[in-house]
Amino acid sequence: MMQKVEDLIAKGKTAVLEHEAKEVLREMGFSVPKGVYIEKDRAEQIPAIVDISYPLVAKVSSSKIISKSELNGVRLGLKNGHELKEAVSGLLHIRDAEGILIEEMAAPGIEVIVGGIIDDQFGPVVMFGLGGISVELFRDVAFALAPMGKEDALWLVREVKGSKLLKGYRGRPPVDIATLLEMIVKVSEIISTGLIQEIDLNPVSLYPEGAIVLDAKISLHYS
Amino acid sequence: MGKEASINQIDLLFNPGSIALIGASHTEKKLSGAILKNLLRFRGKVYPVNPKYKKIMGLKAYASLSELPEPVDLTIIIRPAHEISKILKEHERKAKCAIIVSSGFAEIGEYKLQDEIKRIARDTGIRILGPNCMGVYNPYHKLDTFFLSRERLKRLKKGNMAVVSQSGAVLSCIFDALGSANIGISKAVNYGNAVDIDESDLYEYFIRDEYSDIVISYIESLGNGRKFVEKAKELSEKKAFLLLKSGKGSSGQAAAYSHTGRLAGRYEVFHSILRQFGIKEAMDFDELVDTAKAISYQKTSRGNRVLIITNGGGSGVLASDECIRQGLVVAKLPEDRIEKLGKMFPKFYTISNPFDLTAQVKDEDYVASLNELKDDFDGFLIIALTGVMGVTERLGKMMKNLKAGIGKPIVFHIAHGGVSRKLTAILEKAGIPVYPSPERAVKVLKALLT
Repeated sequence: MMQKVEDLIAKGKTAVLEHEAKEVLREMGFSVPKGVYIEKDRAEQIPAIVDISYPLVAKVSSSKIISKSELNGVRLGLKNGHELKEAVSGLLHIRDAEGILIEEMAAPGIEVIVGGIIDDQFGPVVMFGLGGISVELFRDVAFALAPMGKEDALWLVREVKGSKLLKGYRGRPPVDIATLLEMIVKVSEIISTGLIQEIDLNPVSLYPEGAIVLDAKISLHYS
Repeated sequence: MGKEASINQIDLLFNPGSIALIGASHTEKKLSGAILKNLLRFRGKVYPVNPKYKKIMGLKAYASLSELPEPVDLTIIIRPAHEISKILKEHERKAKCAIIVSSGFAEIGEYKLQDEIKRIARDTGIRILGPNCMGVYNPYHKLDTFFLSRERLKRLKKGNMAVVSQSGAVLSCIFDALGSANIGISKAVNYGNAVDIDESDLYEYFIRDEYSDIVISYIESLGNGRKFVEKAKELSEKKAFLLLKSGKGSSGQAAAYSHTGRLAGRYEVFHSILRQFGIKEAMDFDELVDTAKAISYQKTSRGNRVLIITNGGGSGVLASDECIRQGLVVAKLPEDRIEKLGKMFPKFYTISNPFDLTAQVKDEDYVASLNELKDDFDGFLIIALTGVMGVTERLGKMMKNLKAGIGKPIVFHIAHGGVSRKLTAILEKAGIPVYPSPERAVKVLKALLT
C-alpha cells in the first residue's frame, strides 16, 4: 500500500514535497484537491497546463520551508488566469521556492488535524485535534497508540474538547464522522509501517459528506 | 532466559534466602552501616563483605564475594561507581540478583559506566536493581535494604499495597504519608536508574504477587514505552493500580518537522495513552497518597451521582464546585424524598444537595439522611466539621455500622483539629477515608467512581 513511499525512499529523498505527499495519500484512498505541480524553471508554462477549474489556490513548494503561510506562500481564491499568473510570479520570488502547487479551492468545512509520529518512548502514535487556534493556542489535541481500529479512533476524537463542533454546533450540520475515523485508522496504519517518521494532514476539511486533505506533510524514516 | 525464570529471579529481590552486603561498614553513620543494621532483622543469612574487617556488627565479615561459604540469592552493593563493574563480574555463579545502591551513573552524566553495567547484566544473566536506589522493603519477609534508619524513617506495617518508586526520596515521603494514614504495605521497591529491572518488570511481578492487591507507582522516565503500556494495562485490569508521573513540563520532540511532532510532548503523549488504556493517573503527590488511602479502604464502583451531606454551607458549596470540575453530578433529591425528609428534620435544614444539616446538627442526622438517600446516589461525601457540639465520636461508630449497608464509596471531609483527630481515627479504622479539605475529598470520590 505504500509503494510510492518506498519509491521515494529508494530515491534517497529526505523531504517530501506537498504534491508528492498528496500523491501518496491519493494512492491510499484519501481525498485530496485536484491540482498540478510546476517546477520553478518551468513556471512559464502555467496557463497552458491548467485543466482544472477556478477558483484556484497557489502554494509555494519547498523542502526548506516549514510554514508556508508565515511567508505569504499561499494565495487563495484566484478567479482567473490573470490572478493566477500574478500569484505564481509572486510565489516564485519567495526564497527557497522549488515549485508551485496549483489546486482547486475546496469548499469551507470544519478543519481538523490528523497526524502521526514515531514517538521515542512509545513508537508509532497518532494525534487528532481541531484545526486553527484550537491546535495552535489551546493545544487541544489527543494521542493514541498506533495502529488502531475505529473504536479507538472514535475514542481519540472524543478526547478532544472541541470535538463537540463535529456533531453539529449551533445549527451547523454534523460532519461525516465515519470518513474521519477511516482517515485516522489509515494514518495509524501508515505510521505503523515504520517507513514514515512524521505525517501531518493539516488541515483536513470535514463536510457533512466526505472530507478532503488540504495540506499534508510527510517526512521519511531512515533507520 | 525463560520468562518464568526471570520472574522467579525478581522474586529473589523480595524474598531472598541469603544476602551479601558488599561494602558493609560498622557504623550507622555511613549508609552501608545503616543498611547492615536494617539487615540484622532479616531471618535469612547475611554476609557482610569488606576486606578491612574480620567482624562487623557481630557478623563474620568476608574479604570478597568469592570467599563466601555459599552462593547468595541477593547482593547489595554500596561501593564507588567505578568499582561496580568489577564487582558485578565476580557475581557469576556467586549471586543471582544485585541491588546497586551507589550513585554516580547516568544521573550525573556517566552513561558509559551505566552502559557497562547494562552489558554485564545481559551477559551474565544477573538481574540488577538500580543503580542509584534504596532497594526493597518486604515486611512479610523482614527484609529491609534501605539506607535510612528506622528512627528517621518509620517503616510501614504489613498490608496489601505495593509501592513502586523510581525515586528514593519520593518513596520515603510516600512512607511517611501512608504511615500517617495507617496503611500497611505488601512490598516497596525503589528502582532508580533502571539499568535492568524497570517499572514494567516490577508491574509484571506484582500482577502475580498474591500479597499485593493495590499497586501505586511513581515514575520519572520510562524504560520501554510499549512494554510499559502492556504491563500497566494488565496490572490495572487485575488489581487497583495508580501512578504518578513527574516531568510534565518537558517539550515536544526535538527538531520536529510536523505540527504533530511539535505537539507531541513526552508527557502529553504519555497522558493520552494512559487514558486510552484506562490506566489511572494521579496528577500530583497529594492525589496519589489521598487516592491510595481510599482504594486501600474501599472498592471502586460505577456511577457519577454524588450526594453531599454537610453541616457547613460554605464547605458544601466548595465540594459542589469541585464535583463540577471533576465531572461528578451533584444531582437533585427526588421529590418524594424531599417531602419525607422535610417531616423528619427541623425547618431550617436545607433539604437539597448539598444537604445542609447546619450548625445545629446531631450525629444521628447524618445517619438518618444517609439511610433515606443511600439508594438514590452512587457515592457520598460527608462533611462533619467538629467545631459544633453536635458532632462527636459517636458519628464514627455509627458510620462503621452503616458502611456495609450502603456498599458504595463514602468519603469524609473533616478539618484537622483537636476533637476531629479521634473521630478521624475511628472512621479510618472503619475504612472510611477522611480528608482535610472538601476538594481533596471530592477528588478521591471521583477516583472511587469509575
